[in-house]
Amino acid sequence: MLKVEKLQKSFDGFMAVADANLEVSKGEVVAVIGPNGAGKTTLFHLITGQVSPDSGHIFFKGQDIAGLAPYQICRKGICRSYQVVNIFKRMTVFENVQVALMSFLKMTLNVMTPARKLLIKETLDILESVGLAEKSNQISGSLSHGDQKVLEIAIALGNRPELLILDEPTAGMSPEETAMALGLMNRLSGKLGLTILFCEHDMELVFSIAERIMVMQLGKTLIQSTPDLVKSCRQVQEAYLGGGYLTDA
Amino acid sequence: MPDQKIDVQKIFWVMGIGLLFLLLPRFLPRFYVYLTALILLTGLLATSLNLVLGFGGMYQFHHAVFYGVGAYSLALMLTKSGLPVWTGFIAAPLISAIVGYIIGLICVRLSKLYFGMLQISLGSLVWAIVFRWYSFTGGDDGIHGIPLPKILSVSHGAYYFTLIITAISLYLMFRIVHSPFGRTFQAIRDNPERCEAIGIHVRRHQLAGEVIAGFFAGIAGTLFVTVEASVFPDLMFWTLSLEILIMCLLGGWFTFFGPMLGAAIMVILRTFVGIYTEYWTLILGIVLMLLIFFMPDGVLGMIQKAGGRGDGVKGNHRL
Amino acid sequence: MHGFISQISLPSLLQQILVGLSRTTILFIVASGLSLVLGVLRIPNLAHGSFYMIGAFLTYSVAAAVGGKAGFWVAMVAAPIGVALISLVMERGLFCHLYDREHLMLLLFTFSFTLVFGDLVKIIWGSDFRSVSIPPVFQGSLSIFGLPLPRYNLFLLVIGPLVALGLWILTQKTKIGKIARAAAVDREMVGAVGINVSLVFSAVFVIGCFLAGLGGALVAPTQNITQGMDHSIIMEAFLIVIVGGLGNIWGALLGALIFGLTDAVGILLWPQFAIVFPYAVVVTILMFRPRGLLKSTW
Repeated sequence: MLKVEKLQKSFDGFMAVADANLEVSKGEVVAVIGPNGAGKTTLFHLITGQVSPDSGHIFFKGQDIAGLAPYQICRKGICRSYQVVNIFKRMTVFENVQVALMSFLKMTLNVMTPARKLLIKETLDILESVGLAEKSNQISGSLSHGDQKVLEIAIALGNRPELLILDEPTAGMSPEETAMALGLMNRLSGKLGLTILFCEHDMELVFSIAERIMVMQLGKTLIQSTPDLVKSCRQVQEAYLGGGYLTDA
Repeated sequence: MPDQKIDVQKIFWVMGIGLLFLLLPRFLPRFYVYLTALILLTGLLATSLNLVLGFGGMYQFHHAVFYGVGAYSLALMLTKSGLPVWTGFIAAPLISAIVGYIIGLICVRLSKLYFGMLQISLGSLVWAIVFRWYSFTGGDDGIHGIPLPKILSVSHGAYYFTLIITAISLYLMFRIVHSPFGRTFQAIRDNPERCEAIGIHVRRHQLAGEVIAGFFAGIAGTLFVTVEASVFPDLMFWTLSLEILIMCLLGGWFTFFGPMLGAAIMVILRTFVGIYTEYWTLILGIVLMLLIFFMPDGVLGMIQKAGGRGDGVKGNHRL
Repeated sequence: MHGFISQISLPSLLQQILVGLSRTTILFIVASGLSLVLGVLRIPNLAHGSFYMIGAFLTYSVAAAVGGKAGFWVAMVAAPIGVALISLVMERGLFCHLYDREHLMLLLFTFSFTLVFGDLVKIIWGSDFRSVSIPPVFQGSLSIFGLPLPRYNLFLLVIGPLVALGLWILTQKTKIGKIARAAAVDREMVGAVGINVSLVFSAVFVIGCFLAGLGGALVAPTQNITQGMDHSIIMEAFLIVIVGGLGNIWGALLGALIFGLTDAVGILLWPQFAIVFPYAVVVTILMFRPRGLLKSTW
């Protein structure tokens, strides 16, 4: 479904992504791991168009999408959440998701229909599926950090993505919230059959959910394989501080 | 359903206020009726600015250009063309909208401060042309004694015309703010990057907003001509643009009716302070300073917050 | 508009360009101050025009009070310093509390000063025209390539490069300049290494306003000093800063040259629309390079 080939991007001479290769098949849950500064977030920015690559290809369903604008990529069926909470803080939880749905249904240039009567069921369905339904009338900026991260995912669901990209979905979450996020990801991939690509620091979570794992170091893809093979890979052991880290997980 | 009760209450309020305005000329002296018309059209102008400023988060630094273009378009059509009178009233806002489209096309490539500065430059060019083109626009003198349709020059005709057009415009803008477009626009204000990521073409929406705001500012411009029967280059000078910004700030720019309130306060203050002192701008300046320090959410914003409708988050937009 | 070009002779064009260049000097001095404040403090300071006007009125008052030949020179020094002092009070008293507000608020806040200063000037100096006479040294003209050029304009042509050089040394060679440039890029970082950013900002603000005052002082002998001169200069200065690149001193110079020269040539070509020319040129440039010609600091 998604195929990244020899992707490169440098900022002012700093090679953030040097040679990234990645494959995600339909229905799969794929994790990208790697030490800080390995280029994971830049890779995601490249895939979703926030940053355009210097060279290389990104194929989505056979089409090269490298260099398209973010809104175009989103309309092709790739949606993402962010590492840092990135929501519409002055609007309610309901409105946050509703806007995404409106965008998906191309209603955003409609100036005359009252918005409060539109897409109520659809919006509540999504909120229900992530567990935010009872907070739908709260101003999103006043939610707890964990809820904001979940809302982050809910907004991405509004566009009915085929591929969902999650950039550190549990960053800054408490252990309980992390457990809930894990449950949510399981539901999304299981019940809704979503293809998920995510990066994460919490190795426990990565190894419990990912079907395949891609390891990045210094902007390069070291390996992409099943969790077991990744665990036993020597290069990966070296990349992670001489090895001890991964076996702990 | 408690919702329905609120709706009935709302309708009651709207009808009450409408009736009050309709009957105003019966018990107010002529000057106050004129002043009310001025408040209404200035409020319309401020509301149209707030559409892109408060609800779209765009740094619309030179909104007066669209107001001036609307006023001049009508004035020129009434004085220089043989076209039927009412075509001018329809064409002028459309011309403003077109100017909004052109300026928008150039400016939306940038955001925030750069957007505002570019808009000021473009607006200043329009102003400079109008200011100097004596043979066409009357230059710095402007155009005075514009012949208006008879219905507007009879007693209170201009007032009622202003009242009706302002009411319709406000209604339309209210609909727009609460439409899917309005929602999307607010989302763009809160977080343009995220909007791109959920498939919204941000610039196209900003451009659409600019055209809509230009259109309604143009309507306000035609109303100015209706009330004053004259135009002058100050209608599109940058200081006026900032005064409209102040009105939005004063009333509360995350509220729909705030700018109208701000405009009312400004026009009334100017009129009555002007009686006692010629140093009106000194007082305005001090008021503005105090406002920025102590009341950045504006009068209506404050009231809402105190009423607990702000939910603790700066700048909610329920009203 | 037929036949405008044919009336222009080469000497009159050259002379007009020289006069335009001396006006450029003043535009540059004012715009560079604005650019400095915009680049480092990120304040779009509309009150900059007011400082220019106050500088001109102060020059008039000081020159009149001191009198004689010395009056002019004393005023040239005292007026910009007076302006700088006013700006110091303003910055320490009010502005320094608002640095983290959004640009829109800062813009409106500086506008409130424009309003207040406008009326204060009216209260203090009245609404009559004032003028400062050119000191005897600079009266009359010199012949340059056979063209008569007023001596005072020559004086301006010397001052301009001096100010540019001074600013270059200040921003590139002195410690405060280096800190200011670093703070323009990353304020928190500079604060984190233990430098008092607030004081640096204060200094930059005062220097910027000093330049506005200097511009006002220099322009005083060349034109009537009136109410409203703040409103026209600030727009011109803003356009210059935008077209040159926000916060870039050389950009301000380039912008001032473009503005001053198109203005001068416009007066020859089509006097009625002279003020339109520079605006049109600036807008045309911005269509193609919306962020200005040179790299901005942020």
